[in-house]
Amino acid sequence: MLGRIDRGEVRIIGVDGMDSDEDERQLLPLSQRPEWSDVTPVPQNDGPNPVVPIAYSEEFTEIMGYFRAVYLADERSLRALHLTAEAINFNAGNYTVWQFRRLILEALNADLHEELGFVEQHASKNSKNYQLWHHRRWLVEKMGTEAAVGELEFTKKIFLNDAKNYHAWSHRQWVLQNLGGWEDELAYCNELLEDDIFNNSAWNQRYFVITSHPGLGGIEATLDSEVNYTIKSILIKPENESPWRYLRGLYKNNMQSFVTNPKISTLCLNVLTSKVNPVFALSLLLDLISNGFEPNKDLKNAIEAVIPESNSQNSDISVTICAILEIIDQMRVNYWRWRKNNLHSQVAEGVANLHIH
Amino acid sequence: MADDGDLLCRSHADRGLEDQLFDRERHIRYLEMNYQILPSPYESQEINHLTLAYFIISGFHILHALDRIDREAVIDWILSLQAHPKNEAELNNGQFYGFHGSRSSQFQSVGNGVSVPNNSHLASTYCALAILKTVDYDFSLIDSSSISKSMKHLQQSDGSFMPIHTGAETDLRFVYCAAVISSLLDNWSGIDKEKAKNYILSCQSYDGGFGLIPGQESHGGATYCAVASLRLMGFIEDDLVSKCTSSCILDVPLLLDWCLQRQAVDGGFQGRPNKISDTCYAFWVGGVLKILGANKFLNERTLREFLLTCQSEYGGFSKFPRQLPDLYHSYYGFTAFSMLQETGVNSLNIELGISTIHHTNI
Repeated sequence: MLGRIDRGEVRIIGVDGMDSDEDERQLLPLSQRPEWSDVTPVPQNDGPNPVVPIAYSEEFTEIMGYFRAVYLADERSLRALHLTAEAINFNAGNYTVWQFRRLILEALNADLHEELGFVEQHASKNSKNYQLWHHRRWLVEKMGTEAAVGELEFTKKIFLNDAKNYHAWSHRQWVLQNLGGWEDELAYCNELLEDDIFNNSAWNQRYFVITSHPGLGGIEATLDSEVNYTIKSILIKPENESPWRYLRGLYKNNMQSFVTNPKISTLCLNVLTSKVNPVFALSLLLDLISNGFEPNKDLKNAIEAVIPESNSQNSDISVTICAILEIIDQMRVNYWRWRKNNLHSQVAEGVANLHIH
Repeated sequence: MADDGDLLCRSHADRGLEDQLFDRERHIRYLEMNYQILPSPYESQEINHLTLAYFIISGFHILHALDRIDREAVIDWILSLQAHPKNEAELNNGQFYGFHGSRSSQFQSVGNGVSVPNNSHLASTYCALAILKTVDYDFSLIDSSSISKSMKHLQQSDGSFMPIHTGAETDLRFVYCAAVISSLLDNWSGIDKEKAKNYILSCQSYDGGFGLIPGQESHGGATYCAVASLRLMGFIEDDLVSKCTSSCILDVPLLLDWCLQRQAVDGGFQGRPNKISDTCYAFWVGGVLKILGANKFLNERTLREFLLTCQSEYGGFSKFPRQLPDLYHSYYGFTAFSMLQETGVNSLNIELGISTIHHTNI
């Protein structure tokens, strides 16, 4: 017996829980396993002229032949469940197999906690597989709020190996929004950023928390502390794009406040007067100026000092900034040149935006 | 003279100059090998068989080598993967009637009374139609109304699309598939464009790029899906950087800046800030820049250099420098070189993801 019937539930014994006889049989071709002797595999119909044929292995061909048989017979049994596991091993992306597995789990009224374990086993080598994550979400949806803590733990485990796993972040966001668990999320972001201040996923999660956490009051309520946090982070690694974008994002619908906040210009001044990469500071200043910001003398001097030769007869500081960026951000020289030639339209548009807000 | 030639070859090799050429012939041989037979490791991607075929066949077309395929066999095979409703009533049963991605998801009922749902899929449908367009198949022969009519069952209330009616994740990739399918069929009855647009806009992140779902980190592939979809649906014009005013539905300056910053110091494109460069983002992000009219702002020389470090000695391209090639990265390597206007490479319709150039002698 590959399972045990217990009060109407079927416990799916994971690979580790199987005894050695079962293991042996698992390695045998299906055609030689007695429990499958009543089933005739259904071959794949490739048609008369298969295009771009795949060199299928014997094992693959056999597994899929048996899968086709149980699928067509709509057999939602324990052995079919195990078969789907084997098929998934061969093609973890096969959504038909995953979907049939879900039908079987429902028909058998299976223990979903065990199934979470199944997914976790597969997650290490399939952490970027869409079907696996969708299956997990389906399970968690059925289990409800009780699963929240486990899911936050599960995604944390994934992040230990890959702190930027996109699927895991989507899952985590979905869990928070639908099942809760927000309390420690900002602190978790802090942790991740302490590990790696360049982790753009963690910066994005930060934004997600401050805008979606029902108890925080939105950006308005957290603005000051977030600005302080971000400025500190920028000063640690000024060449890090993420916090610059985040800072700008904090003022997404609030350009006027951005332009008039003295901390922002102080930050730029700090960066420009240290011997660090000034690209993002200059780029930010360019945007601020096109939105009505007027740099003071100190700031102008600091800008001009980046490349003293750039201080041409031009009194327009924006032109100077673009000229500097053309030199120090060579990769984007054509862009900065274009920005320089289009400053007037940008300023007009920027000022118009200010009036609207 | 032969001696001089030998000397020249050797010094080319010594200086690694061979690596600096886009090796079209070798890429064609790579595609030919895979067209003849896909090696066993690809069985783990068998569910996406049609997609693999798309990379190969569209790849041939981009490299001006479409004569390598058996056009009739390709057409027959693709059409055999289409799901057909038995009658008009079936079209309204909630199922999507598109194309299957593979034989392993296509089932013939064995007449035991069990009704077998069709497993046709949005992404496979895109690949099927893209291939048919590539081989210049007469689209009036396709049952396009079944595809469009049933496709609307896949659109969710938030405007996103599910790729298969039996249940799957919903995100920007499938909005893109729906948009490009509608465009290829010239039939928009399968998509509520306004809802789709709103979903797309809700995916624009605070930094100007787009995430795959609302709230998610901005990502090169998602950004391509967003911008290409908006373009296909007619919500944005070409060449936005020259035209855009504050009335544009997108924050174009922010998007532009984000995209350009994706070109890393090695010349390649990254998918997200602070991640390493990967061949395919040259197309995903480069493609967005092209749609915006801003491809002149990227550094072509260094991009080319990076891509050539991913060009395999076996033909094709790998994800990262000096690794083994795979069909996906090979295809996007070819499309990237198409955008760089490499000689001998066909130009591309960026939003459709294929070349629509047709020659009479294929």
